[in-house]
Amino acid sequence: MLVEQKLNTLLELINTSTNDELIWINGYLNGILAKQTQKEIQPEVKKGINKITITYGTETGNSKKLATGFAAKAKKHGVHAKLQSLDQYRLNDLTKEEYFLAIISTHGDGEPPAAAKKFYDHVHQNGFKLSKLKYSVLALGDTSYPLFCKAGEDVDEQLNKLGGNRIAALQKCDIDFETEADEWFDRVINSLSESTQSVPQSVVAPALRKSPGKKIYTGKILTHINLNDFDSSKQTFHIEIESEEVQYQPGDSIGIIPENKKELVEKIIALTGIDAEKNIHYKDELISVYDLLHKKLNILNLPERVVKKYAAIIQQEIPATKIDLIDLLKIYPAKDEEQFTEVLKQMEATAPRLYSISSSPEMHPGEVHITVAKNCFSVNGEVKYGHASEFLSFLNEDNELRFYVHPNNQFRLPGEDKNVIMIGPGTGIAPFRSFIAERDATGASGKNWLFFGDQHFTSDFLYQMEIQNWVETNLLTKVDTAFSRDQEEKIYVQHKMLQKGSEFFEWLHAGSFVYVCGAKDPMSVDVEKTILKIIEEFGERSKEEAEKYLFDLKEEGRYITDVY
Amino acid sequence: MSEIKDLSALEKVKVVSNGLRGTIAESLTDELTGAIREDDQALLKFHGMYQQDDRDRREERAQKKLERLFSFMIRLRLPGGFLSADQWIALHEIAGKNTTGVIKITTRQTVQLHGMLKSKIKPTIKAFHLAHLDSIATCGDINRNVTCSSYPTDLSVHEEISSYADKISTLLKPKTRAYYEIWLDEEKILDKKSEEDPLYLDAYLPRKFKIGIGIPPNNDTDVFINDLGLIAIVEDNKLLGFNFAIGGGLASTHGNPETYARLGSVIGFVEAGEKTFKAIYEVLTVQRDFGNREDRKQARLKYTVDRMGVQKFKEEVEKRTGFTFEETKPFAFTERADEYGWKKNPSGNWDYTLFVENGRVLDEGELLLKSSLLEIAKTGKVSFRFTVNQNLIITEVKEKDKSAINDILEKFKLIEHTNITSAIRKNSIACVALPTCPLALAESQRYLPSLITKIEALLEKYNLENENIITRMTGCPNGCGRSPAAEIGFIGTALEKYNLHLGGDHEGYRLNKLYKESLGETEILSELDELFADFKKGRKKKESFGDFTHRTKFEN
Repeated sequence: MLVEQKLNTLLELINTSTNDELIWINGYLNGILAKQTQKEIQPEVKKGINKITITYGTETGNSKKLATGFAAKAKKHGVHAKLQSLDQYRLNDLTKEEYFLAIISTHGDGEPPAAAKKFYDHVHQNGFKLSKLKYSVLALGDTSYPLFCKAGEDVDEQLNKLGGNRIAALQKCDIDFETEADEWFDRVINSLSESTQSVPQSVVAPALRKSPGKKIYTGKILTHINLNDFDSSKQTFHIEIESEEVQYQPGDSIGIIPENKKELVEKIIALTGIDAEKNIHYKDELISVYDLLHKKLNILNLPERVVKKYAAIIQQEIPATKIDLIDLLKIYPAKDEEQFTEVLKQMEATAPRLYSISSSPEMHPGEVHITVAKNCFSVNGEVKYGHASEFLSFLNEDNELRFYVHPNNQFRLPGEDKNVIMIGPGTGIAPFRSFIAERDATGASGKNWLFFGDQHFTSDFLYQMEIQNWVETNLLTKVDTAFSRDQEEKIYVQHKMLQKGSEFFEWLHAGSFVYVCGAKDPMSVDVEKTILKIIEEFGERSKEEAEKYLFDLKEEGRYITDVY
Repeated sequence: MSEIKDLSALEKVKVVSNGLRGTIAESLTDELTGAIREDDQALLKFHGMYQQDDRDRREERAQKKLERLFSFMIRLRLPGGFLSADQWIALHEIAGKNTTGVIKITTRQTVQLHGMLKSKIKPTIKAFHLAHLDSIATCGDINRNVTCSSYPTDLSVHEEISSYADKISTLLKPKTRAYYEIWLDEEKILDKKSEEDPLYLDAYLPRKFKIGIGIPPNNDTDVFINDLGLIAIVEDNKLLGFNFAIGGGLASTHGNPETYARLGSVIGFVEAGEKTFKAIYEVLTVQRDFGNREDRKQARLKYTVDRMGVQKFKEEVEKRTGFTFEETKPFAFTERADEYGWKKNPSGNWDYTLFVENGRVLDEGELLLKSSLLEIAKTGKVSFRFTVNQNLIITEVKEKDKSAINDILEKFKLIEHTNITSAIRKNSIACVALPTCPLALAESQRYLPSLITKIEALLEKYNLENENIITRMTGCPNGCGRSPAAEIGFIGTALEKYNLHLGGDHEGYRLNKLYKESLGETEILSELDELFADFKKGRKKKESFGDFTHRTKFEN
């Protein structure tokens, strides 16, 4: 097997070695071999498959990050991967696709991310066949939500209905997705390399492992303050939660499952006559009816699918509508305790709400702070409050609160010497309070520019005195504020950005990182438009060049948003 | 004044202020705070404004991580307290739009508005400017608003005397254009020569300076409490000139015996016209040059006069005017109160003096004072004059318009309001104090009305309800509400605690004295109960309460 020269060298080595040395060499070679075998297990992809399309629909950037990593990995296997965001994807191309991967997250009540909406709707249409298509879907989600990974599930199912064949089964991932996602991609590559043409049938996703990263903490409320003054139309709560063991990074959020109001729970119990202390099996746990209604179940604004299940149990016709459990029980009462127990078992768990952390682990060790706006809206003239924000607004100091940390790896501070521009009106200030405090505690040398806005200067300037202190200590290099209702014409953060356009562009061009947090619409949309305008106007670029400039910023991870 | 001493910090601020500009313009553009920079706060006073904050809200707002609720008080320059109907309408609208809405009539015959946010200062001053009103030099170390008696004995003379208030105010206005530049966007002056101020130079006066004109026999302006009091001498309906009274001033500081209230010393007579103006001007220059600039608590004219001696001070003024004061002309004040209700003035027109408790014009409960005055102003048939007792005169009402105005007063029940108000309430004054005044140690205008109600009951008990006892309350010993010149004076020492002062006369010639220290309400009422009982029993014929307490409590 060896050429003569090599063979001679080897024989010479063997002949001049002692027994012990030979044993050692033997072991050494075994070690090398063992490593190589691992590598060589990675299959060569079959000849002819030299092109796959990897698409992603992202809200927070996780899908994109994964897709980018997979594309690089594919290349190592000799496959050219075409990487594309689903909002950029030409829908007509789908019928021409041969090998197609989709990484897609799920938001709210089973919704696809905005960037994947068109694609999602497209695959739900009939009238075309995807006979050539071999595909697999990686679905990202959060098991705390009832419709976990629903968007990915739907896409997987629709592609199959349209005639596509799965390369690998749908993989659903919880918030700690990295390992499972890697394993899924390995399976995909494996399938492509198998010599047989056998395409996996529709298979059930592997059983979900309990997410190791999703640790539930119980913290004590240390401080609970409404930051708005009494005459404000808003209520924004600054809540400090004590938790010795909590670990997070600036930019992360926490997830909170709001509890239902005791009065409402008691009304439901009285209405149904059910024994509040009775323990029943809900999913995997044994829990009292009271606790189930109080802490676990979503009993407000039930989705139609739950109403449908309710109708099936009590065997009545109920129009498809969103309705609170209490109203459902009043109009269509359950026959007896047994029937209502069955209803309870079929109900969905309350989905968690995420709140950006506004503290810094360095500055506020053992604590997590959040900044919660009491969400107020009007339904048919009646003032209603968002369930979670209302729950949080009623907490008192010393109450306990359960939460988990939801990492947001996209939304991170850059290197300590980098300059940052933070645009965070309203509760959008939250992660920036964390950023600034972190930079304060760590003595980061980069410059910091904050844009803040709200309705009124005197009543709505969240964290005003802290911001003043940061300016006095030169931690904040610049602050610009916009109070929309203090004058006749409405002034928002984007107006202040444009006013300071020349300087804004200078910062941008010198490598600053730009962060936007707060309302998605219209704030983040207007802010982005304004940044484009600033690049055009003050960077003296054409519209197309400005768009390219912004695109590059996004690619470089220098324009990062966390909007809701 | 050749020796060099340490000037007070404020002196330096004034000198380097570049004509009272400082960095006010920069302070205004600071978006992070509703306050202005500390040095600018001192300069802002010269523009007629004080920075204040709602002291009731400090603690709660600090919890909310919000800074203090800063706002500004703005005071108008209204020599003689005169306002046209159109100006009243403008004031009404500005107050509603940019401030708390309450129009506060001050003890210096002008009005001030509270609660103006920093962002509203410029719009407010611009709006005032359109109505030909300004706030120049109504606070600060400078001549303040000039007051003038509201009750003429003869119209033509009254007009003439009133015009002195106006002319004195103009004569003593600072020359800097800072006000116009900062607030009214007037173009910056490059040639600073035109701003040279031979009166104020660059350090202005050592302390505030107040001038008031009194027309005997009614001492409604409390002429002796002014740094410079001018007592008009009228003979045969002709203004001869003024007796000058120098060194009045009521402020003192608790626990600082070097400070005290003082009434003006009459130093002589000056004939009307140029000589009067010259003498006034030089009183200011002597105070400018001889006043204490090291210790602001010793800086008022009264201390300069006492340090130099009245005679020496007078001689210094004479040296500068080039003429001597003539011998003081005889005069007599017999009253020190407003004349409520309808009064025909010597021109044949009518005046209605309306009672305004603590000078606060607002719509409150059943009493729609502000709305009614707006309606009256809108008739265009009246003018307004404020009194130094914080009341309001609807003036210059022609005989033919009187019933129309009366109808409005009737409609809003203001005549009834003025008539049923007790004598003691009508003669009461309270300063602003909490929550906005930074000096206040105790409540004043928020408290006195309810205390008066309780005092009324005591007076009724002894059938003394028609006594015009002058009662004044201030939240600190600074004396804005002229409490040292009252028959019953309450001076706040701490929350809900007041020093009780007694023995001031009714006409304003004699200050009161400290009677009891740091009384709570119960103690105040029991002291007064006893005093009224004694007064009822032991008063001499027509003896006023002030004279009675002076005789029985302090003379023996």
